Amino acid sequence: MDNELGSIETEMKRGFLQLLVLVLLEKDAYGYAMVRAFRDLGYEVEENTLYPLLRRLEKRGLVQGKWDLSEERPRKFFAVTPSGREMRDGLLDIWRKQDEVLKHMIKENRHA
Amino acid sequence: MHKKLENYLEEISHFLSGREEREEILAEIRSHILEKAEQETGPAGEATLEKVIAAYGEPRRVAEKYLDGRPVIAPAFQRHLFRYASLLFAVHLVFILLAVIFKKSFIVFPFLFVPRMGVIGAVFYLPMAFLADFGVVALVLYFISRSGREIKLPWPKFALDLDEVKPADAKTVANKVAAMVGAGTMLALTGLAVNLFVKHRTIFFFTTNFGKFRPLFMPEPGRLISLALIATLAAGTIGLIVKAFSLSRRLACWVDAVVDSFALVMIAMVLRQQYTDFFAVRIPVSPAHQTWIYTTLTVTLLFIALMVAIDLVANVVRLGRRRPAK
Repeated sequence: MDNELGSIETEMKRGFLQLLVLVLLEKDAYGYAMVRAFRDLGYEVEENTLYPLLRRLEKRGLVQGKWDLSEERPRKFFAVTPSGREMRDGLLDIWRKQDEVLKHMIKENRHA
Repeated sequence: MHKKLENYLEEISHFLSGREEREEILAEIRSHILEKAEQETGPAGEATLEKVIAAYGEPRRVAEKYLDGRPVIAPAFQRHLFRYASLLFAVHLVFILLAVIFKKSFIVFPFLFVPRMGVIGAVFYLPMAFLADFGVVALVLYFISRSGREIKLPWPKFALDLDEVKPADAKTVANKVAAMVGAGTMLALTGLAVNLFVKHRTIFFFTTNFGKFRPLFMPEPGRLISLALIATLAAGTIGLIVKAFSLSRRLACWVDAVVDSFALVMIAMVLRQQYTDFFAVRIPVSPAHQTWIYTTLTVTLLFIALMVAIDLVANVVRLGRRRPAK
């Protein structure tokens, strides 16, 4: 049961993480800081999943990455692009709609 | 320079060969691991890095997350691979049998060339033919998948449907009992055969009035055929014993595949012998009829080999699946 739950959670997270990243990157952030930010909110993200996702979003022009070489250790900062914002708003609409449907159905079940 | 980290990145790099952005991916991972090691566990020493690296994941799994993961053959066509390869192999097999029987080569331009061959040549040619057919079908399905077009491939039904072959249920009590009874019977048969062979150097006898038993074959072919049959019986016995005491379906498939392969080798060994005087018994028939008897025996052995080969392919198909069907 736990395994099955874990595998469904992974599937759900796959899409949700994209939305989270697009929301979070309204302010510039680098990978490790993003992992910490999610963790502080009680949401664990696999590090080795985040970077490939950022790369895919960057390729699609939804986020923009830029290396900061001013510090001792180079860090790649990401920020959402105008297309990314558009995508984020669309995803948020879908998210709200899904949330409404789910809440409505749970409410119906309680009254049944 | 952190040796462990660089080794880890080197391994990831290996799995990302050919990708333009490889260096940048590695730079991202390096930066992340060093930062995490410093922030969470103190100065980035080798021991600290080792922990952070272990948490980041196996190099291959990390690299795979950057790959597109597009299947070589589209999921809709994956079931066609074995189906079409089996069909092509069936055609191939017919030409191989014709090449052996008529001692001629065949060309079906541009797909198939079957050279003239003997029985032993055919036994070695069959697996290569299957691999070639499998490769051709895989290549065609690959190109169809890559084209991205809406192509609907026909789905032919077989009398013997390899795709619906279910592995023997090794867990049922009935099957366990059957395997144990079978193993016991085979063990007794093998023991009897060995006993006969030790005493008489053959296990094949004939008698006309159940009085005196005489060897059926001449000493040399008689010894070879007896040994081949004893070895096949012994392999079958070991296989049944393993199946009787194992719960693994996959192991049962492996055992069957090994026993089938062994039986094929034994049949090939017998067919390879070119004896002119085979029987110890004088058969009162014309030379033409004697040739007919030898041909019938050869065809019978070939037929048995074909049945064993079909079972072998079915077992290979079962083993090729990611999980045995439940």
